[in-house]
Amino acid sequence: MSLLDDHLTSKAPNDAPATGAERGRGRAGLRTWPPSLLVGATLFGLILITLILTPWIMPHDPAAQNLADRLAPSGATHPLGSDHLGRDVLSRLMDGGRFSVSIAAITLLICAVSGTLVGIVCARRGGKFDEFVMRLTDVLLAFPEIIVALFLVAVLGTNYGTLILALVIGGWTPFARLARSVALEIGSHDYIEAARALGCSSSFIMFRHILPNALSPLLAHTAVRFGHKLITVGALSYLGLGIQPPDADWGSMLATAQPYLTKTPGLIIYPGLAIFVTALSVTLIGQGLNARRNQRG
Amino acid sequence: MFFLIRRLAVLVGTLVIASFVVFLIPYLTPGDPVRKILRGRVSDLNVDPVTLENLRRSYGLDRPLLTQFWDWLVKALRGDLGLSYTRRSPVTEMIGSALGVTTVLAITSLLIALVAALLFGSLAAVKRGRPTDTAITSITQGFVAIPEYWLAPVLILVFALQLGALPSAGWRGPESLVLPCLTLALRPMSYFTQVTRASMIDVLESPHITAARARGLTFGATMIRHGLRNALLPVITLFSVWLAGLLGGSVVVEVIFSIPGMGRLLYESVINNDIPTIQAGVISLVGLAVLITTLTDMGYTLINPTVRAAHVSA
Repeated sequence: MSLLDDHLTSKAPNDAPATGAERGRGRAGLRTWPPSLLVGATLFGLILITLILTPWIMPHDPAAQNLADRLAPSGATHPLGSDHLGRDVLSRLMDGGRFSVSIAAITLLICAVSGTLVGIVCARRGGKFDEFVMRLTDVLLAFPEIIVALFLVAVLGTNYGTLILALVIGGWTPFARLARSVALEIGSHDYIEAARALGCSSSFIMFRHILPNALSPLLAHTAVRFGHKLITVGALSYLGLGIQPPDADWGSMLATAQPYLTKTPGLIIYPGLAIFVTALSVTLIGQGLNARRNQRG
Repeated sequence: MFFLIRRLAVLVGTLVIASFVVFLIPYLTPGDPVRKILRGRVSDLNVDPVTLENLRRSYGLDRPLLTQFWDWLVKALRGDLGLSYTRRSPVTEMIGSALGVTTVLAITSLLIALVAALLFGSLAAVKRGRPTDTAITSITQGFVAIPEYWLAPVLILVFALQLGALPSAGWRGPESLVLPCLTLALRPMSYFTQVTRASMIDVLESPHITAARARGLTFGATMIRHGLRNALLPVITLFSVWLAGLLGGSVVVEVIFSIPGMGRLLYESVINNDIPTIQAGVISLVGLAVLITTLTDMGYTLINPTVRAAHVSA
C-alpha cells in the first residue's frame, strides 16, 4: 500500500522555491483545476456543509424511537425510511457522519503533522536516527490497523482514546516516508546550500525552505489517505470497537442493520453510500492535486 | 551481504520486542494475573487469599518479570502457548487451523486481484489516453473508496439471498470462497491495476519493445514475452505487501461471512478477553507480517542490486 503511495505521490517538486508570483499564478482560477479536483471539492464541500449544519437542519431527533413506525420505507416523514427502532435514518446518517468524518480528520491531522516533522528531521539529520525511524516504519507498516486496534482494545478497553491511538500508531509512517523523500529531494538543491552558507540555522532552513515546498505533495497525500481513514473508522465501529451505543456512526449503523438485510436493504445501502461518496470525493481531491502538480512540475 | 545481516537483525529484534509486548498483555490489563488464569479453569472466583498466593507461587508469577518472560518465550518457541480460556483447547492448534483458512482466503483473493489487474492494467497502458484507459483508471481508482463491510452485505443480498446462487456465510467448500474473495480482492485490484498500468507504460516506451516489434514479433507476443514480464516485478512486490496485510486485515470480511480464520479468531478472543489466544494470535500475525516483508525485501535486493545501493545511500 505504502509502496504504491510513495510511487504515486512522490514526484520531484519544482526546481526553484515557489515565489509569491508563482503561487499567485497557481490560484489563477477554477478553470485550470483538473476535473477530478473540481468534482471532488464540490462534493466534499457539500458534505461538510451538511454535517456542520446538521444540528439545525436534520429533520428528526436521531435518537427518538417510534416502535409503531419501525422499518418504514422512505416517505414524507422519513425521507430515507426508519430503522428497527423507528428512528429516522436520514437524521442518524447526518448525525453519525459528524463522528465518522471528525474522527477521520482528527487522526489524519495528527498523523500528517507528526509524520511530516519526523520525516523532515530524518532527512536533515540522517545517520542512526534516520536508520532507526525507517526500520520502525517498515515494521509498523506491516501491521493492519484493525489488528493494532484489536490489540489495543485487549489492553486498554474500548474508548475513544483507544480508537484514536489505534488510528495514529501506524498512520504517521506513510507521511514520514513521503516527507523524508521530498525533503531529501529539496535538500539537494543549490538554494539550500546557499542558505546554509549564509549562516541560516538548521531549523530555519527546515521551516522556511523545506516545509513550504513539501506542502503540496503532502497535502495531496493527506487527501488520498482520508478515504482510507474514513473506511477504517467505519470498520472499527462496525466491529463495535469504535463508537459506542446509543451513539451511532456510519459503520455502526451498517452493523445494526445487518439482520434486516432482506427486509429493508436501504438500512445497509445508505450508510455505505455515505462512506463511499465521502471517501471518493476526498480521493478525487487528492488525485486532482497530484494531477495539477504533475502538470506544473 | 551486510545488508542481509542487518535485515535479519531487525527481524529478530522486532520479534523479541513484539513478543515481550505480547507477553505483557495480562500484566498491562487491569486485574490480577492469577485471577485471569483461574477464570479459564474454574467458575468459582471467590478463592481465599492463601490459595491465591500458593497458586501465584506455583505458576511462578512471583518471580522477576524478565525470568517469567524467558520461560514464556522458551515455551512459546516449543509451540506451547497455553490453553484458550473459552474453548479450553491448546491455542497453537486453534491458531494453526485458523491461519490455514486465512492463508487460502488471502492468496485466492490476491490471485483474483492480480489476474484482473494484469488484464485491465495492460489494456489501459496499451490504450493510453483513450476512453478505455480513462474508464479503467477512474473506475478502479473509485474501488478504493468502497468499504468492504458494505460490499459484502450487498453481494450477499444479490447473490445469496435473491439469486440463491452462492452461500451467504460459512466455510464449506470452494463456493464459500467466491463472495469473500471478491470482496477482499477489490481494493488490492485497484492498486495492482494502477501499478501495472504505470510500469507497463514504462516498458512499452523502452527500446527493446520497438526492437522486438522490428524483428517481426506480433504485438501480442511482444506484450507477453517482453512487456508483461518486465512489468511484473513491481506488482509482485506489492502482492507480498498485501499478503502480509490481508493475513490479519481480513477481520471484517471473516466476521461478516463467518469464516473460521485468523481475523475472526482474534476478534472473538478480544471480545471474550481470552488472553492466551490474543497473545498467540498477535504474535503469529506479527511474525508472519515481518517475515514476509523481510523476505520480499531480501528477494528484491538479490534480484536487483540497484535497490541495495539505494538502501545504503537513501
